[in-house]
Amino acid sequence: MTGRAFAGMLQARLYVSRRLVAYSCGCAVLVALAAPAGVTTPLFLCSLLGIVIALDQTPGRHRHLDRCEQSAPLFGRELARAKALVPCIAALLATALFACTQFARGSPDGLATLLVVPPAVVACTLTALSATTRRGATRALYVLLACAVMGGAYALAVIADTFLAELALCVIVAFFALRQYGETLARFDPI
Amino acid sequence: MRLLRMRDASFASATARAGPLTLDLEPGGRIASTFSTSQEATIVALMAAGIAKATTGSVLIGDYDPRVQSVHCKRIAGFVPHEPLELDERDFPRYIAYRAALWNIDATAAQAEARLLCERLEGMHEAFSYPLIGALVASPQLIVLDRPQPVYAAQILRAVEGRALLSTHAQPSNAAAFT
Repeated sequence: MTGRAFAGMLQARLYVSRRLVAYSCGCAVLVALAAPAGVTTPLFLCSLLGIVIALDQTPGRHRHLDRCEQSAPLFGRELARAKALVPCIAALLATALFACTQFARGSPDGLATLLVVPPAVVACTLTALSATTRRGATRALYVLLACAVMGGAYALAVIADTFLAELALCVIVAFFALRQYGETLARFDPI
Repeated sequence: MRLLRMRDASFASATARAGPLTLDLEPGGRIASTFSTSQEATIVALMAAGIAKATTGSVLIGDYDPRVQSVHCKRIAGFVPHEPLELDERDFPRYIAYRAALWNIDATAAQAEARLLCERLEGMHEAFSYPLIGALVASPQLIVLDRPQPVYAAQILRAVEGRALLSTHAQPSNAAAFT
C-alpha cells in the first residue's frame, strides 16, 4: 500500500466520522473539567470512546467507503492497518484533549494521563475492531474482550501501580488484535 | 485473450446464493445478464469484479484468479454499485482524489478525466454518475455494473466506450437497454 492510499483512507474515514470524533473530544473535555483526581476516569472514558469509534467502522455504516476499499487493489492486511488507525487517532485525540484540560485546570494528573491512558486506549480500540466484522454473540464477545482489556490495564496501571506491566499487556494485546483484524479482513465476505 | 471467464461459478452462504454461471467476455465486449433476484445479480457482479470469491467453479479476470490474486483482478475490473452515492457536488473533487489515492493514479490527471466524464454523462443524475466516474478514472479494462439504471443506458454506454462491460440485472427489460 502506498502512503497516498494510506493517507487517503485515513482522511476519508475521519471525514465521514467527523461528528463522532468531535462529540468524543467534546465529551472528553467536559468530563475532564469535572473529573476527580487520578487516571481512572480518563482510562475508562477514553477506552470506551475508542471502542465506540471502532464500532463505527462496522461495514455498512459508511457503505460507499466500504465498496471503494473493497474494490481497490489493496490487500486485507493493508486495509486493516489503515482502518485500525482511524479509531486509534480519534480516541488518542480525545485522550490528549483530556490531558490538556487537566493541565489547564492545574491538575497534576495530566502527565500521568498522557503516559498511562494511550496504551490502554489503543489496545481496547484494536480489540473492539474485530467485533466490526462479526455479528451477534461473537460481536458482543469481542466488545466484552475489549472491556476486559480495559479492566486489565486499569488493574495493572492503577491498582498494582506498575506502568511497565500495563504497557507490556497493551502492546501484546494490540499486536495480536491487529493481526487478527487483518486476517479477518483478508477473508471477509462482503455479501 | 478473454477478459472475464466464469465456469460454473457459484456463491453460497447461509443467507445468499448465486449461480452456477458460465460466461466469457472478450476485451471491448458487452454482456447484460438477467438473474431471478436482485441479490443474485449483486453477487454475480461482485464475483465478476473480484470482490466476492466464488465458492465453487472458477472465475478468471484477465489471467488472474480472485481467490489468490485479487489485487491484480481489481486493477483490471472496475465495479459500479447499484446504490446511489449520496455525495454533494462540492465533495466530488475530494471523492475523485480519494479514488486516485486508492488506485495510486495521478490525482491531477484523474480530476481532468473526471471533468471530461462529467460532460459525457450529462443528463445522468449525479448519485449514479459519480460512482461510474470514480470507477472509470482508474482506467479499468472491464467495467462491472450492478443493476444499472436503464434510463441512463445511452450515457453509460457512451462513457464506457471501448471497454468490456458486464451488467447484471433483475429484470429482462432492463438488460435489453444494455445489449
